[in-house]
Amino acid sequence: MSIDIFWRIPTHGEPRHHRARTPYRGDWFPGDETRREPGIAGDGNDGYTYIDYLAEIAHAAEISGFQGGLIPTFPSTEEPWVISPFLARETKTFRFMIPFQPGFQNPVLVARATASLQRATGGRALYNIISGGGGPEQLWWGDSIAHDDRYTRTTEFLDVLRGVWDGGPFSYRGKFYQIEDSGLPSSLSREAFPEIYFSGSSDAALASASKHADYYLSWLEPFEQLGNKFKRVQEKTAALGRQIKTAVRVDIVARPTEEEAWREIQRGFENVDKKVWEQYYASVQSESVGAARQRSFRPTTINSYKDLIIEPNVWSGFSLLRGGQTQGIVGSYEQVAERLDQLVALGAGAFILASTPHLEEAYRVGEEVLPLVRGRSDETVLRKVA
Amino acid sequence: MATEFIWQLPVASDGRYGDARAIRRGERDGSERSVFSPGVSDPRGDNFNYFDYLYQVARATDLAGFDGLQIPDDPDADESWIVAAYAARATRHVRILAEFPASRGSSVFAAKNAISFQRFSKGRFAWQIGLGGNELQRRWYGDHLEEADLLPRIEEFVTVARGVTSGKKFSFAGRFFEVLEGGFGGPLSAYPLPPVYLSGNSDAALSLSARVADVHIFDALPVAQLRPAVAHLKALADQEGRKVAAGLRIDLVARETEREALFEARRYLNQSGQQRTVADPAVGSNYWHGLSYGRNGAAASLFGDYEQVAKRLAEYGEAGVESFILSAVPHLEEAYRIGELVLPVARGLASAERRLAA
Repeated sequence: MSIDIFWRIPTHGEPRHHRARTPYRGDWFPGDETRREPGIAGDGNDGYTYIDYLAEIAHAAEISGFQGGLIPTFPSTEEPWVISPFLARETKTFRFMIPFQPGFQNPVLVARATASLQRATGGRALYNIISGGGGPEQLWWGDSIAHDDRYTRTTEFLDVLRGVWDGGPFSYRGKFYQIEDSGLPSSLSREAFPEIYFSGSSDAALASASKHADYYLSWLEPFEQLGNKFKRVQEKTAALGRQIKTAVRVDIVARPTEEEAWREIQRGFENVDKKVWEQYYASVQSESVGAARQRSFRPTTINSYKDLIIEPNVWSGFSLLRGGQTQGIVGSYEQVAERLDQLVALGAGAFILASTPHLEEAYRVGEEVLPLVRGRSDETVLRKVA
Repeated sequence: MATEFIWQLPVASDGRYGDARAIRRGERDGSERSVFSPGVSDPRGDNFNYFDYLYQVARATDLAGFDGLQIPDDPDADESWIVAAYAARATRHVRILAEFPASRGSSVFAAKNAISFQRFSKGRFAWQIGLGGNELQRRWYGDHLEEADLLPRIEEFVTVARGVTSGKKFSFAGRFFEVLEGGFGGPLSAYPLPPVYLSGNSDAALSLSARVADVHIFDALPVAQLRPAVAHLKALADQEGRKVAAGLRIDLVARETEREALFEARRYLNQSGQQRTVADPAVGSNYWHGLSYGRNGAAASLFGDYEQVAKRLAEYGEAGVESFILSAVPHLEEAYRIGELVLPVARGLASAERRLAA
């Protein structure tokens, strides 16, 4: 089976380089909540807002051959449930990957909203289910339950969502949800159920993922370790009688030559400001197991960008440049494609790629890297690469 | 607040002239058979569905000069926020008033989504928070709240959503919603909550609106009965030290002559099977209680020639109504008719009255 490659929508504004903070597009920048004056579009007087720039990216991604894009959500960013229907009509094949925490919305409402989105887009909605990073953040969102309970709720939420999807009648008596004779109305119940990408690394997360997810989604980790993790996920779900595919969310810097790619990283590294370094070393406490796993591969002293190269073409300093995940792939077009194929050999069935700026890089990666990725086209090649 | 005329989007279905049957333009409804004879080719395939029609109605309201578009919460229709975002992208001027129940989930999350909505639509989003239908429909949503708790839950929903969009850290622990140190940072902090519309003619509904609503929408009543109700609402709001605008939900049957309007109204009534329960009104009153278009219909319709209907709307305006939620079937054609022939007259009368009053 062939692999699916997605892009990413920067819901938070973006600068024009990995390595720069200005000029930026939109009025938000990771780690800087004081931004107000918008770059390029969105000053409110010219008829444009940031959604117009996001539309540009979505369109670039679909033209360049991506399946669609992950539309991430953070406390200070735009919301994917709003972005997706806004962009429904001006995209043709772009699939909207919506991450959300099940606890924040009524499951029947989400079923209805999703079916409507499917109708508005010709079946282009899919989910990235997340169950929260924990800590004070949950109550900030107006949500208050313990970590393991969150996954029970996630499971129940998806039980209900699937139960009502085809029209019911569906009844359910769970710990969190009680529904009687429910079901989507006939006008909404003929849509395809959205694919589910599932994030979360704890045992509780895996148990929940195994029941409902199509793809287990992980950030990049050292290759061997990631391969082992995928094996563990697949064993665990197989034991529960289901099959699950795996996917990797990874940032890339791809250039015509390896030298140019590393030079890009080097320039970014040399411009990281002091405040960002302090945050980097401070290791903020988080309940997220995934974040801790990524942090654990970080050296304690860093003098050069080279200290952060943890294996060939993998740099673990991306969070210094723009927040988010730490590890990403750096190299020539051929090298990046080859590393992606190695991940395919380790089990990856899908990718969510990203590079800044997302508009221009969608074309670059779509035109230069994607045609070089073999995916699952030739199993013998895959074995050789592995 | 300047008087606003809001058109209702027919989210569940629409009709045609001279035919009261519910239809969904653009939608095949699962049937593969073309309505054309086999001898005529049908190019549509499955390229369209009802969203394509809703898109046109949304644009029509903008082009025909309405101030807003209301998206009703109908359990058999598409979800109102998805439709609202879709319609917002299709329009430039109209306010997008989406109806939804307070059972939708975290009010903090709703507020955050509303901010994205405001940022993308330049502040055109507005909330109409409803009860979520009857008891059966609420249970369908997994909502088992007692009837008596429905309004208090709306109050908490608005309180929390307003708190987290106030620009300061906000904490709240109520019976239905809880938030700790909530509030949005960065560019998101610059956006107040969308205007809140509530509805209902009961005393409890009026009191709630006096405390938290920006606009209170009344079900249709003859103007003589509505006048004291509006005054009551204003008095309750005064006691809270607040201002609440009054709104009215009413349907229209406007034609070149009153006779034509009455003919259309009767035909619609006969075709829709309501005739036994609704009495024919006196000619010249222009108010037909119980004449209602489909499921999202108002409690009454104004019928008459364009001048008459505009005058009746202006009378409501004079009685204190500043927000009208209107509809007529078919919604696309009628948006143009009402927008071109009724609204200009009604607006003219309203501003003439304001000049007289000044």
